[in-house]
Amino acid sequence: MNTFLLADLANPNVVIQTVLPEMILAVTGIFIMVYDSYVPGKQKVTATLSLIGLAASAVALYMLWVEPLTFASGFNGMILTDVIRLSFTAVFILVAALTILISTVWVDNEKVPAGEYHVLVLFATVGMMFMASGNDMVIIFLGLETLSIATYVMAGMRKTDLRSNESAMKYFILGSYASAFLLYGMALIYGATGSTNITEIAASVGSATFPALLLVGGALLLIGFGFKVATVPFHVWTPDVYEGAPTPITGFMAAGPKAAGFASFLRVFVLGFPLVAGGVAAQYLHESWVTALAVIAILTTTVGNFAAIVQNNVKRMLAYSSIAHAGYALVGFVGAGVAATAAARDEAIAAVAFYMLTYAITNLGAFAVITLLARKNDRRTDFEDYNGIGFKSPVLSFTLSLFMLSLLGLPLTAGFIGKVLVFRPALEAGQTLLTVMVVVAVVNTAVSAYYYLRLIVVMFFKERNTDWIAPKIPAAVGVALLVTVLGVFYFGLFSNNVIRAFTSVAEKPAVSASNSK
Amino acid sequence: MVTVLFYILAGLAIACAISCVYHKNPLFSAVSLIGVFISLACIYLTLSAPFIAVTQILVYAGAIMVLVIFVIMLLNLDEDSPHTNLAYLYGFGGGLGVLLIGQALFVFYAVNRAGQKSVESTAAGQTSSIGKAMYTEYLLPVEIVGILLLMAIVGAMIMSRRLREPSVAASSEE
Repeated sequence: MNTFLLADLANPNVVIQTVLPEMILAVTGIFIMVYDSYVPGKQKVTATLSLIGLAASAVALYMLWVEPLTFASGFNGMILTDVIRLSFTAVFILVAALTILISTVWVDNEKVPAGEYHVLVLFATVGMMFMASGNDMVIIFLGLETLSIATYVMAGMRKTDLRSNESAMKYFILGSYASAFLLYGMALIYGATGSTNITEIAASVGSATFPALLLVGGALLLIGFGFKVATVPFHVWTPDVYEGAPTPITGFMAAGPKAAGFASFLRVFVLGFPLVAGGVAAQYLHESWVTALAVIAILTTTVGNFAAIVQNNVKRMLAYSSIAHAGYALVGFVGAGVAATAAARDEAIAAVAFYMLTYAITNLGAFAVITLLARKNDRRTDFEDYNGIGFKSPVLSFTLSLFMLSLLGLPLTAGFIGKVLVFRPALEAGQTLLTVMVVVAVVNTAVSAYYYLRLIVVMFFKERNTDWIAPKIPAAVGVALLVTVLGVFYFGLFSNNVIRAFTSVAEKPAVSASNSK
Repeated sequence: MVTVLFYILAGLAIACAISCVYHKNPLFSAVSLIGVFISLACIYLTLSAPFIAVTQILVYAGAIMVLVIFVIMLLNLDEDSPHTNLAYLYGFGGGLGVLLIGQALFVFYAVNRAGQKSVESTAAGQTSSIGKAMYTEYLLPVEIVGILLLMAIVGAMIMSRRLREPSVAASSEE
């Protein structure tokens, strides 16, 4: 032990460029923290700095995107630049930027400590990015914890409001519990395969030491991730947490952490537990997770949509709607799991990423409008508060209607293309259970028309008894609304460009892998 | 020698665990729990895993139990009076205990059947090898933990700081 030579040490394999997007954001966060301690409470400055940091991070991401092969992996394979990472990271950066724009109104109205808040958003985004880029259970778990702790705090930032306290407390206790499940599952998988690296796990599931450990570990991981993305048996926390959290944060929680959960969920299950020819345990594992997720998808879409019908609070309604959307994304997930070829699998993964992108855009737009209409301390979030505001504030009510139609999945909007893309791979597999799953999801889409259209009906056709003054639209929120409205149309009409961009990444590493062999 | 030591330490751990559940005074229970942790740490030492042993004492017996005892003493809890209305929990707890014993027996069975693998090098549990791995192979995770802890401090500050305006939520209607 005394001969502590440099030559003995393993090479950390530091490739700064692979983690450049994450690093830029983390450094921006630390910089804002230091700045805020000297000049506190400058919301415009810290928001601008955060947006600059996000833009710089986006540039770094673009450089990776152009040449995914140059920095394909780093840190001994802990970071991997592939279709999951690049497409989901783009979603996270967009979500963070929109959240910062939307929350300006909340930060101003309620004297939220702006510096700390922006730091939390940035660090949460770093966590999400590591969840998408981490090719190692260790990185995925650390990213998840970074994201979760930031989100717990943000949910409780309205400290004098009981609902916000309840939201943060519930999210914290149940979230920690789910993290424990996840960690236990990871430990068992490590015990069964001898590695925490997803690629190595995929290589050794066929010859796992203790097949039982592999199955139990997989089940625990399913529970942990299922909680984080709010699928049905593990969804009970969602409505209370989403209702109580400040509205811009609710939008962030529904868009960002959910997408991040799907990124790691996809990586661990689709890439980590593939169908291995010959390995009985691996075959059984693959079969059981596909079946379990198909059943969960059926439950999630059904319960989410039917529970949303009876809600009288718009935020609760959107919480159940977010559960339903997790179910639709799961349909694409299962499709990726049963894909026959690597190309088809990457296409299905890109479809899930695209779905999360369209959902994030639409959802953040909707929450931007709700933030404005809810006024200070989120007092006006019931359906009754939307009575007859349609023609009194046409800009807000028309944009909100557009977002509702996109969530519903009306053709020409982003939501439609997203649904088509995630449903297709599962349908092409031709298995009975998967076909049933797709049919249930489509029927549920029709059910969801009731509550999405109800909001539009309430806004335009109900009488209003009390006076109502339309809220002013601040410039920052206006920009966010413009981006989301354009996004809904752009992704609805020219979705091919985005899909091509997502899958182009997938093709390049595939080519290189076959060349190098 | 090691086997004798194991039986002594395991017996101590079980005795402390029983004493932890048996005592009605929460303070005695907490102290018994420290006994469990320390005997477990000693078992780790005999398994040549000194790092885990020290962490066990530092984190569990040290930091966490100190917190628990602080809370007990600050809240000034009285001796626990028997809850007659919670009698059904005995059945539940008993069932859970049987389940855990079953799980332990299954692990014995499975490990015996699958054959034992010996650990390649005895250095695996040494503090220096863990340190080496942390700062070379696992450099990136250590850095991420840095961000995580920094952010947790920021979060704790936000949550615990006194508000500038205490009456924000005094909801005056528009």
